[in-house]
Parts: sequence; C-alpha cells; structure tokens
Amino acid sequence: MKINNAYFTRRKFLNSLLGGWLGAVVVSFISPIVKFVWPPYKEPDEVKLAVADYAGMKPDEVKTFAWGNKPGIIRRTKDAGFIAWVGVCTHLDCNVTWVPDKEMFYCACHLGWYDKNGVNVSGPPPRPLRRLDVSVEGEDLFVRKPEAGAKA
Amino acid sequence: MKIDLKKFAAWFDDRLALTPIFKYMTKKEIPQHEHSLWYYTGSSILLFLVIQIVTGIMLAFYYKPTLEGANDSIARIMTEMPLGWLVRSIHSWSATFMIAFVMIHMIAIMLTKSYRKPREATWMTGMMLIVVSMIFGFTGYLLPWDDLSLSATKVGTNIPAAIPVVGKWVTQFLRGGDDVTGDTLTRFFIFHVCILPLVIFAILIVHILLVQKEGMSVPLKDEIAKKTVPALPFWPNFVLREVIIWLLLLGTLLTVSLLLAPSLGPSADLLAPAPKGVKPEWYFLFLFQTLKIFPGNIGPVTGEFVAVVIILVGILGIFFVPFLDNKPETIKGRLFTYLTYFGVIYAIVFSIWSLL
Repeated sequence: MKINNAYFTRRKFLNSLLGGWLGAVVVSFISPIVKFVWPPYKEPDEVKLAVADYAGMKPDEVKTFAWGNKPGIIRRTKDAGFIAWVGVCTHLDCNVTWVPDKEMFYCACHLGWYDKNGVNVSGPPPRPLRRLDVSVEGEDLFVRKPEAGAKA
Repeated sequence: MKIDLKKFAAWFDDRLALTPIFKYMTKKEIPQHEHSLWYYTGSSILLFLVIQIVTGIMLAFYYKPTLEGANDSIARIMTEMPLGWLVRSIHSWSATFMIAFVMIHMIAIMLTKSYRKPREATWMTGMMLIVVSMIFGFTGYLLPWDDLSLSATKVGTNIPAAIPVVGKWVTQFLRGGDDVTGDTLTRFFIFHVCILPLVIFAILIVHILLVQKEGMSVPLKDEIAKKTVPALPFWPNFVLREVIIWLLLLGTLLTVSLLLAPSLGPSADLLAPAPKGVKPEWYFLFLFQTLKIFPGNIGPVTGEFVAVVIILVGILGIFFVPFLDNKPETIKGRLFTYLTYFGVIYAIVFSIWSLL
C-alpha cells in the first residue's frame, strides 16, 4: 500500500525498519566479540630495574632486560650514562643481538645491521632501533617510553 | 532374525534419497588424453588431507597449546608416546606433500587453461583452498614453539602491518596483542585445529560440487575442434587407478617420514635474539626471499610495503586469471602461459636463492 505523495510503500518502510533493527542487533553482538578478540594489551610505559645490576658495566658493554614481552637493550656509554632501545628489528620484528667484535646490533632474520647507536646501517631495516629513555633514581633504573612528541 | 540388507538399504534411501548420487557416480566419465595424468592430483590432495586430519587429531590428544607446555608436550609425544615421533613426522611430511600436490594441481590447471569458462568459480574456490592450506602450514609451524618457529612467526605476523590502516589491526588479531606471546600460540592452535578446518571444509564442498557439476575439462584444442575425447568410466576404472597412485604416495610418505623425522629445537624464549638460519616452510621461501631483496626504504614508503603490495597484486592476479585470460586460444592466452612459466621459474629460483 502506498499513501498518496509518499516516497515509498508501507511494506518498504516496515521492511527497512525491521532490517535496521536486525542490523543493530547483529552489531551489538559483534562489538563485544571484536573487543574480546583484540585484547587491549599495550607494551609497558616504564620498566623498573635495579641500578646494582647495571652499575658494573664497562663502557660500550651491552645487557638485555625484559621490555614487556620483548627484549630491551641497554648500553653503557663512555661517560658512564645509559642508552636503551627496544631490541626488536624495525624491519619485521625479529629480536636483534649485540655483536661485540663489530660493536653492532644484528638481526639474523633478514641480515639487518645497526651501529652501536642503534642506527640502521645495512640490510632491510627502514628505521633506527626504537629508543627508550633511561633515568637513574636512587637505587632504581627506570626505562621509559620517550615522551610523546620527543623524537628518539 | 535375518536382516534383509536390501530392505535396510531401501529404508535409508527412502529417507536420504542418495540413489541419484550413486547413479551419477557410475555414469561419470573421465576423458583420456595426453594431459589426463593431472586428473589424479586432486584426489592425491584429498588423500593427504585425510592423513592430516587423522594424524592431527592424534597429536592434539597430547599437545598443550601454552607458552610453558607446548615444546615439552611435543618432546613428550616424540619420546614417550608409542610411535609418537612417527605420527608427528607423518603430519609434518604429509603437509609438505599436500602443499606440493596443491601446487602441481594448480600449475597443471594454469597450463591447460582448465579455468576457462565455465569453470571460473571452480578455479577461484581452488585458489581459496591454496591460501587456506598455506595458512594451515603457517599456523602449524609455530606450534612446536622452538626458537626457529617463534622468529618465523614474528616475521610472518608482522608482514600485514606494512599495509596502511587495516594492517596493524590484522597483526594484532593474529598475535592477540602487539607482540608474539603465549596468547599467540594458543590462538594459532585454535586457528589450526578449529577455525581453518571449518573454513577448508566449507570451501572444499563447493569446490568438489563444482567439479561434479561441470565435469572434467578437456584440452583446449580438442574443445575448439569439437573432437569427442575417449573416456574412462569413473567407477570403478578411474577410482581403482587412483587407488594405485594413493598406495604409491602412501609408501613414499611413510618412507620419507621414517627416514627424515623433523627435529625439535629448544623451547622458544621471547627475549632471546633471533637464531641463525631463520626460515619459513619451503613453500614460503620465495616470498621470504622477495621480502629480503627489497631495501629499507623506496622513496617515501618502506620497501616492505612495496613488496607486500606486489605480492598482493600477484595473488589477486592469479585469483582472477580466468577473467584476465578470457581468450585462451589467442596470442593473449599464450602470454598467460608464458607468465605461468615465468611465475614457476621465479618461485623455484627465489626458493633456491634463499637457501644459499
């Protein structure tokens, strides 16, 4: 049935209404499923380490720590400071390793090389290793994500 | 009481009405010509699929899909369970054989151009089956949870992240978070034993029904010449020949599985550096090598992105090839034949290169 001057029939109107409701019901079921399947896991904002474990490092010595579920890398600098990176290749996410003879970081998956400052020098890595901030606060060594906006 | 089997069968047929299917099978004919051998590849794939299902269920009885338990449970299957090492070896080798036959099946169809009208949908469901089979292989590769499988999975799940907007989301879905963790392992197990089997059966049913609906294709030149090709009855002549091939393949599979059982590396450590010699399963090697030769950055985008786009375009091109190669008897058709040869040679050369 179509009322005079109407744009659509009553059947079409009711079917659209019904379809809209059904769509809304389906979406209301999908959104919790999506939320469940994509967990809100984030990497840590900071990791607390003990200064005692790292204080004895010689210049250019490298140690690893757990940055959440990934390896973190910490290197002693010449002036007795620390530099830290996420120890994951910027190409395809493999864990990198420190090669002491060459003083470089190496990724075995696709033969990527980074120099001791974490800068990609050879192979497929498109970016330097991700830098993390390090600060010594009393007995604790904090490794933090760089402040938003501050480029590593 | 004497059971009358004929009555019993009639009772079932009354309810299920299967007679037309049996009648069809006895009437079905398989054309005989110089390319008939390729007809046997389809049922060989089915043979390996059945072996995968049986051995896969057996392994799942003892496998534990957790960060702590996975590697140990496979070590236990291999050392404590009677013939457990052989069951794992057969599962691993049968996967290789299955993928190999899937590829032979596909290349044979490309070269004989059997995907031409009216079999486009058969081809496309076949392509979906290849992709699903490869995802089966990819998810299965992580399950032993040793250092090689962990690194290969980190690389593999990071590849979608190169695609703008949706890529990151796909990577998070595959990993169950931003990183590969124990959750990834559990998730891959569920993909491997629950979701992918459902998907592969759904597509396989359509694929096989389409093959029955259209019948076997005959060579292009015979079709153009409207020549009547001699044929072999499907039942029992063709099926019995298939059985001969199955037995040969089964013998080969068992021999290889006995002599070359896969090893098991130490349990994966999420924080350990990637081991030397990380490589995926052999059927991903040419893609792995393709990724490796791209430099870090090409102009404003990463080399990885360019590589992923090229690979995606290639896959889509193969998926839609029945529509691109729509005049198979012309020079355009010959061009697609050359492209197929090029693709095969590319895959072989790049696979070998990645091993050097």
